[in-house]
Parts: sequence; structure tokens; C-alpha cells
Amino acid sequence: MNFFSPDHPNANDVDLKRVYDAVVVGSGAAGGMAAHVLTSHGMKVLLLEAGRKLDINKELKSMEWPYDHPRRGDIPADTHSLTPAEYRFRDRPYAKGMPFRHVYSYIESWGKGDYSKNIVVDEKDHPYTGTPYAWARARCLGGKTNIWGRLGLRLSDYDFKAKSHDGYGEDWPISYADIAPYYDKVDLYLGISGHKENLDYLPDSIFQRSIRLSKSEMILRESLARMGRVLTPYRAGVTTDGLKHNRYRSRCFGRGACERHTGGCDIHAAFDSPTGLILPALETGNLTIRTNATAYEITVDPASGKARGVSFVDTETKKTYEARGKAIVLAASTLESARLMLLSKSTTYPNGIGNSSGHVGHNLCDHTMGPHIIGLVKDLVGKPRTLDDGRPGGFYVPRFRNLKDRNANFIRAYGFEGFGGNTMEPGYAVSMPGFGRNYKRAVRDHAGAFISLSGFGEVLARYENHIEIDPEVKDKWGIPVIRFHYTYGDNEKKMSVDMVNAAREMFDEAGFEVVDARNEIFTPGWSIHELGTARMGTDPKTSVLNQFQQSHDVKNLLVVDGSSHVSASCHNPTWTIMALAWRSCDHLADQFRKGEI
Amino acid sequence: MANQSHLTRRELIQIGAVAAGVAASGVERGLAADSAPRVFSTQEFALLDELTELIIPADDHSPGARAAGVAGYLDGRLAESIEEAERTEWREGLKRIDALALEMNGVPFMQATPEQRVGVLSRIARNEQNPQTPDELFFVRLKFSTANAYYSSKIGIHQEMEYKGNVLLSEFVGYELK
Repeated sequence: MNFFSPDHPNANDVDLKRVYDAVVVGSGAAGGMAAHVLTSHGMKVLLLEAGRKLDINKELKSMEWPYDHPRRGDIPADTHSLTPAEYRFRDRPYAKGMPFRHVYSYIESWGKGDYSKNIVVDEKDHPYTGTPYAWARARCLGGKTNIWGRLGLRLSDYDFKAKSHDGYGEDWPISYADIAPYYDKVDLYLGISGHKENLDYLPDSIFQRSIRLSKSEMILRESLARMGRVLTPYRAGVTTDGLKHNRYRSRCFGRGACERHTGGCDIHAAFDSPTGLILPALETGNLTIRTNATAYEITVDPASGKARGVSFVDTETKKTYEARGKAIVLAASTLESARLMLLSKSTTYPNGIGNSSGHVGHNLCDHTMGPHIIGLVKDLVGKPRTLDDGRPGGFYVPRFRNLKDRNANFIRAYGFEGFGGNTMEPGYAVSMPGFGRNYKRAVRDHAGAFISLSGFGEVLARYENHIEIDPEVKDKWGIPVIRFHYTYGDNEKKMSVDMVNAAREMFDEAGFEVVDARNEIFTPGWSIHELGTARMGTDPKTSVLNQFQQSHDVKNLLVVDGSSHVSASCHNPTWTIMALAWRSCDHLADQFRKGEI
Repeated sequence: MANQSHLTRRELIQIGAVAAGVAASGVERGLAADSAPRVFSTQEFALLDELTELIIPADDHSPGARAAGVAGYLDGRLAESIEEAERTEWREGLKRIDALALEMNGVPFMQATPEQRVGVLSRIARNEQNPQTPDELFFVRLKFSTANAYYSSKIGIHQEMEYKGNVLLSEFVGYELK
């Protein structure tokens, strides 16, 4: 099998005359998982991916030194990565009229963007309009899992039953007990690294070997323990012990490139959908993949009201096709799946398929990002070098607000991602004052002495935060684009202020000198944790999907990505996306076997 | 099905190749003796080279920006820029340095004494945290570019900062939790 063959759509393998058992749209965490689970049950699956097949190993070059790259990892001079200011001040679509050959989202400006420029989309081809939104998208087999941040966290009943806890929003139609067995399956099948903490608000996974902590991180862990708070090694969706059942993935060798480049791992120790899910699914003989296939409509059988298939356009030839399936499984991402449902208007479903509730595209939520703090650990100044970035991440400080107590200013919670120690390049060098011998010595002496915390806060799901189809603007393929109506409210702003205050308090307790602290929230979308646009629920009037991510209106239509999430929690969503998709696809396969679909 | 040791071996070969690449690739990429700068005149380049070395000089710990080829790298990046204004701004910034040197010492920068050169740089660096004048803004830009280029160079990473990573670890290093 020559899977990573030269880049071309494998149209020859696809038989569009046949009706597949399931057509899956999207090949990231959700779509890869759907392909894995459904094919493992013997169902014949056609997987549609809008992007190309890429030889990801040639893209990522995880071990390349900066000086061996002509631009030290930067994107080419005739390309541009949107800056934080441009997201606020430029008109939408952001890339319109820019003189560059390609324009990328903000993520290509940090972490050696040249290694991921072929993975992420060109904003010129993929416009959108509306309120400011920093939308990071990857169109290629595996989607964003090729470059994701890898923090794999479980949600708890503090999240699934958040309304019962504080009265806001809606509870999920499932509890932790329903999903826990599927979190276990994801842990064992894909591998996750971490340290057991026995916290009911951040349940442990079935962990492989944990990464270790640096000196400053140990100091902070111990001082947080005195405050009743927790610092735990980064729970990385990375196999640190290896996976005997997967021949495409190596165990982690602590090379650290995952922190230096834009995510990504060329030995696939970090989970990515192609090697973790799709290649093994291909081995069942039940999976067919069609890349360069951009879905633009879910077609309907008017007689039965069921979904009939997926219309797609070939991104290169621009020819259109329809792929038919007994079940249609959307996994195109929170925003793209909702866009596709809204685009799928018919006489049967005039508001868009699966949208009798009017909730498709609404209740958009994500995690605030931006508030952060940097501390100096004076005892570490002038100390010999240690190797601190040979690992998939630093640490995580889980939520501590609104558990037993009730904060007076805001509901819900936030967690911190952080890192302390030496890195390949001293990023702080540009902000240390002066020049000459003293400056050079100061940069050298401060290596490894800084520690940072970055807050990720739950954004409340609100009906008015939504997307719709722009009536005028179309993408490169003539498909109408998304118009955002998304802003943060008072709860998010108050929570962000508290993040920095709490971080200061923790650094004070640890004896770290605060050298920078900011509570400004970045443009919405920055965390790449968008969720909620087709939420699950028990009431078809106020939700789009049932607890098995199945449309209330259209029985053979599932939406298995982050759009199904009822609330954002403050925990990174990928592990939950995969556990839910596994559970729903098990259920779909069961219904399929019983002839109920 | 291939086993884990296959992957391990493949990975060891990979790191072997990387290590050999480091050993073989000689001097820093920068301005070679036989190639002229692409954006700057010879005089401008000499000035830029001296300024970068003043910002990050050689000391008893490691070589400085000159040996790391910082000016050559910056020249190369500027040559590729699609924005002519960027090149113009750099050249004008260098002109202002000479003008300031003339004003302060009566001679262009490169004819000034080492102490006088430091004096000129100190003048434009004094408002670094909140630069206002074109000279002060140019210093921030010059220092930002110099630091980024130096600390991503072979000398910067290996000799100056003694970076220990980008290697294969069979066991992670650091503090293990019990």
C-alpha cells in the first residue's frame, strides 16, 4: 500500500454509483474516529476530505535546526500571517486585497510557521465575514490534528451537569458515567501521557509514562499544593510508551519539536488522525477515502425525509459529484459542519437540514485566550543549563473556581497551561533591556529562569452568539461563506481579570517575581476550541442532536464533532470529541445492524 | 506488522543523520568573503555588521553577532522582502546612525572610537521601553532583528546558550512525580 503517494485525489478508488453504509465528512479527530469505529464494525465507509493528502513527514521536519532553514522557520517573504492587530482593525474578509501570494491565519506567525504552511488554509481562498474572529483551519487529511496542541483532558460532571450546578444554560444529555468507558477506549487506542491526581473535576485518564517537571515547575507544584491547588504534568495526547497495535506511530522520544514547531510530530508519537485512526481503518478494507472533496450540501430523499448523500466539489477540477450513504456523518469541524447544515436547504428542510429547532449555528462558544503571566525564578538565574523542552508540553493547572465555593463575579472556570525552563531560543531576549556584554550575559544568565501561565476560560454558550450564511460572499469554489456574530460578554471579561489576579497570587506564594501580567483577551477563536453550533439535548425544540449526536429531525444524520457540545467547559475539547464520536458511532453501528437506519 | 524496535531503529538513523549534518556544515550562513551584500552597499553593510556586534559582542563565553553572520542573514531576508519600504527604512536607519555620529563626534560612525560608537548606540537605546523618535524606533528594530538572528544561529544556540535539546531521549529528564 502506497498511501502517502504523490498528491492527487484518489478518485479512482471511489465508486459514486454505490450507496455506502456511511459517508463521513471530514478527516480530523471526529471524522477519523468515525471512520475507525464504523469500519471496525464492518460498515463500508466513504470518507470525504476537503483538503489534500500530504506527506506530513516531509512537511513537519521536526528535528530541523533553525539555522538549517533559510528563514529560520519563517514563512516565505511573499506570504503573510495575519497579526493580532489585523484581526481587530482590518475589514472582513481579512485577506481581501492583500498583496501577498498567500495569506494565513495568525498561527503561521509563531512556532516556525513554514513547516505548517501547506497544512493550514490560505485565507484568500477561504474568506469569512462578520464580527472579528481568528479562525484557524487546516485542510488536508487529518485536519488540525496534524498540528494540534495535544492537551488531552477529560470533562467531568461539573461540565456535563453545569446547569444543575449554577443554573446557567443547559445540561448535557449525558453524564460522566456515560462517556467514561469511551474516554478509556480513546486512552488505550491512541495513548495519553499524564500523572494521576484523583480530582473529581479533572478525571484521570489511563495514562502512559508521564512527562517530568522542570525545577521551577516543581517549586510551583509544591507551593500550589499548600494553597489547595494542583499543577500536573501536561496531559499530552502523545504515546510515551508506544502502541503495540499501531505500526504507524512511534513512542515519544522527547525531542521537543512539538513545542518549537507549530505542533506536529513527524514520528506520530503525538496523536494525529491519519496515523492514529485512518491508516488502521484502511487496513480493515472497509474504508474508501476521497480527498480534494469539499462538501457543499447534504442531499435529501424527499419521500423519506432522510439524508441521501453529500454533494461535493473537487477542489482542483471544480467538477461536482454526489456521494450517497445510508448514514451521513458530519465531522467537518464545529463551524464547517454548521455551515454545511445551513447550506443544505430543501423543500423538506427550508431552514437547513436538521434545523427545525433553529439552533444550528447558534450557541457558539469556545475558550478565551490571552490572559497570561510571566514570572522570574531568581534562584535559577545564572544556573547551569538543563534540558527542559524535551517533552510534549509543560504543565496544566486545572480549574479551582466555582467548585465548592461560588465566585461573586462570574460563573464557570478556567485552567492554565504553563511552561518553565530552558528552550532552544531565548524568546525573552528581545525584551531584556540594553545591549553589549552586559546584555548578552543577562540573556545567558536568565536562561531557564522564567515560568509562564496562560489562562483558558469557559465562554458561556449564548443563543445570540452564532454564525449564519453570508448572502453575498463566496469562497474560491463558489460556496457561500460564514458570517460571524460572536462576542464575549461580562462573564468572560470578569473571569479574565480573575485569571491574572489568581496567577499573581500563585506566583507570590511560590516566591516568583512577576515580570509581565496581562488580562487582555485575544480575538475570539484564538484558542481554536470552537464548539456548540449543533448542540445535543433531550428537547428537539432547543437542541439539534440527541445524546448519540444524531439529528432529532433526520435519523440517519449524525454530527460527531465539537458542534455537538452543549457547553465549552474550560478543558481542551479534542479528547471529548473523540470519546463522544466513538460512543455515537458504536450506537449507529448497532442501529445499522438492527436495520433501524 | 512491524514492531516497535523497527520504529526505534528508524528513528535512531534519523537522529544520526541530523548529528552528522551539524558536524559537517561548517561556518554560519552569512556573508561569504566572495559575495556582496544584496540590499546594502559595502559601507552600509560594514556599519550594520558593526552595530550587530556592538549589540551582541564576542566575549570570553562565545563569539558574537559578527561571527554568527547576523548582518548577512538580515541582508538576505531583506533582499527577499516584497515590501520595498522595508529596505528603505533600514537604509535610512543606518543613514541616521551616521548623521547622529557626526553630530555627536564630528565623524561618521565607522570612523569613531569604540567608546564613541557605544555612545551613539547608547543615545538611541535610552528609550528602549517606550521608543518615540525615528532613531529610537530604529534601535528597537535593529536589536529585535539582531537578537532573533543571533539566538537562532548555530553559535547562538550551541555555544552561547548551550542548548541541550533536539535530541532523542529514551527517558524524559526532569523531576519525576511519585
